[in-house]
Amino acid sequence: MNLSHKAMPEPIEGSQKNVGHAFDSLCCEHLYLHLSNQVILKDVSFSLPEKGITSLIGPSGAGKSSLLRCITGLNETWQGDIKLNQQHLRQWHGGVDALRKHIGLISQKPSVFPVSIAENVTFGLSRKQRKQNQSTWIQHCLEKAALWDEVKHRLNMPAASLSLGQQQRLCLARALALKPSMLLLDEPTASLDPRSKALIEASLRQLAESMPLLCVTHDLQQTQRLQGQVIFMCDGKIIETGACGDFFEHPKRIETREFLQWSVCDCGD
Amino acid sequence: MKWFLMLLALPAFLFPLASLVYILSHAWDSLSWSLIFGAEESSSMIEAGQGLWPQIIGSLWLMLWACILSLPVAISLALFHALYASRRQQRGLMMILQLLQGIPPIVYGLCGLIVLVHLLHWGISLAAGGVILAVIVLPLLTSNMIHALERIPMEQTESAKALGLSPVQIIGRVWLPLVWSGVLTGILLAMARALSETAPILFTATVFSGVDWPDSMLSPVTSLQTHIFYLAQEGSDAHAVGVAWASAAILLMLILCFSLLALVLRRLEEKV
Repeated sequence: MNLSHKAMPEPIEGSQKNVGHAFDSLCCEHLYLHLSNQVILKDVSFSLPEKGITSLIGPSGAGKSSLLRCITGLNETWQGDIKLNQQHLRQWHGGVDALRKHIGLISQKPSVFPVSIAENVTFGLSRKQRKQNQSTWIQHCLEKAALWDEVKHRLNMPAASLSLGQQQRLCLARALALKPSMLLLDEPTASLDPRSKALIEASLRQLAESMPLLCVTHDLQQTQRLQGQVIFMCDGKIIETGACGDFFEHPKRIETREFLQWSVCDCGD
Repeated sequence: MKWFLMLLALPAFLFPLASLVYILSHAWDSLSWSLIFGAEESSSMIEAGQGLWPQIIGSLWLMLWACILSLPVAISLALFHALYASRRQQRGLMMILQLLQGIPPIVYGLCGLIVLVHLLHWGISLAAGGVILAVIVLPLLTSNMIHALERIPMEQTESAKALGLSPVQIIGRVWLPLVWSGVLTGILLAMARALSETAPILFTATVFSGVDWPDSMLSPVTSLQTHIFYLAQEGSDAHAVGVAWASAAILLMLILCFSLLALVLRRLEEKV
């Protein structure tokens, strides 16, 4: 399952300099973020295991998406320390562009480029890599994203012709094509139909066997389906963390209990 | 209510249409190949020699230089606005562009006359006219580019950033395919604007006669716009007035061509 496994196809001309070893973990320490005189993140500290899914849950405005944007460098005004494999993010070899090739980011709204399906998969690769025949690698990435069977006969069709669920899986394949060391997912199934949701969840479970995944979600049932670890955030702070089963059955903090209670009411409605 | 509003809007459609028909009907008798390309023998000084061809070329030269000079500046300003400017800088830039667009062209012409023609000793020249026209079309070109860039969905840029693409790669591979038609529309509209300006080049670039082709950037040129101006002053000469109408019709057609092309491109962009 490991993308860097020898049996798996590789993008021609190899990958980035830092690839070839998995990151032990992502480690955030005392992270603060201020935007427009507002405190978005307050003293956020956590670390991710070497592999497996960690669900990041919490009410809207808790700072979940902002946290992902800090990790990927889309928001650069944070204070504190973020380390990947013991390397400080701000001192990453090759700068923030090189760092982003190691961290796959899937947004809530799928955003495909106005080129073909195949070209979308290889969009993040270097010009040299794109010029070479990448068909095996494209197939591998699309298979990992559970999309190959649906698009194998129309790889040269515009990506915009795909359904929303297929576009989201294409975004996942595009991120996987860079052989990321971890995946960040910002409500990846929020606007999708149940079938697409199930397909993406299956892909995520499979990917989680070889790399760490940090998944922001409002869907608590999905959190329970994905299992793994849970981080609960509220008002820019981490309130509680724990293993999925324990978190839902025995929440320790009153804020967590209130949130779970409200979420259950929401599901009931 | 609907009919009342339509009645109020009617002049906006009718007036340009009536002007077009009026100009073409007056120009029809004078329009001929010999008027444009010149005649070996002619009873008139205006028709003799090279006809209106030097004026057409002069206008196109000025338009071309205006776009060549303003394009790199407009691209740089639009990219700075999109990539690096803070909110305050963006607001400041848009305010300056609006102010520049509000300045009457004759003021630009006067500035060109004082600074370029007299202080820098460029004289009445293609260079002086090109620079002044470039300054005039710059706000229009820049605003169009800024608006084209603003129409790019934020998700596309963020997805490209998340894939580790550098700013140059994002501009070339994500932005350019999405904005090329918008940028081209802006350039065509700027060309039409440059072709329609008279006062600034009257002060800085053009002479009525004695020039067929500019020898260098520091040579004066003739242009359709100023040709019409000079001929219209010869009110008693029926032939001169006829040629003025014909020149106006040719100029109008050139401007219409650029504007229509811009319109077609905008439609294409909307479809995409």
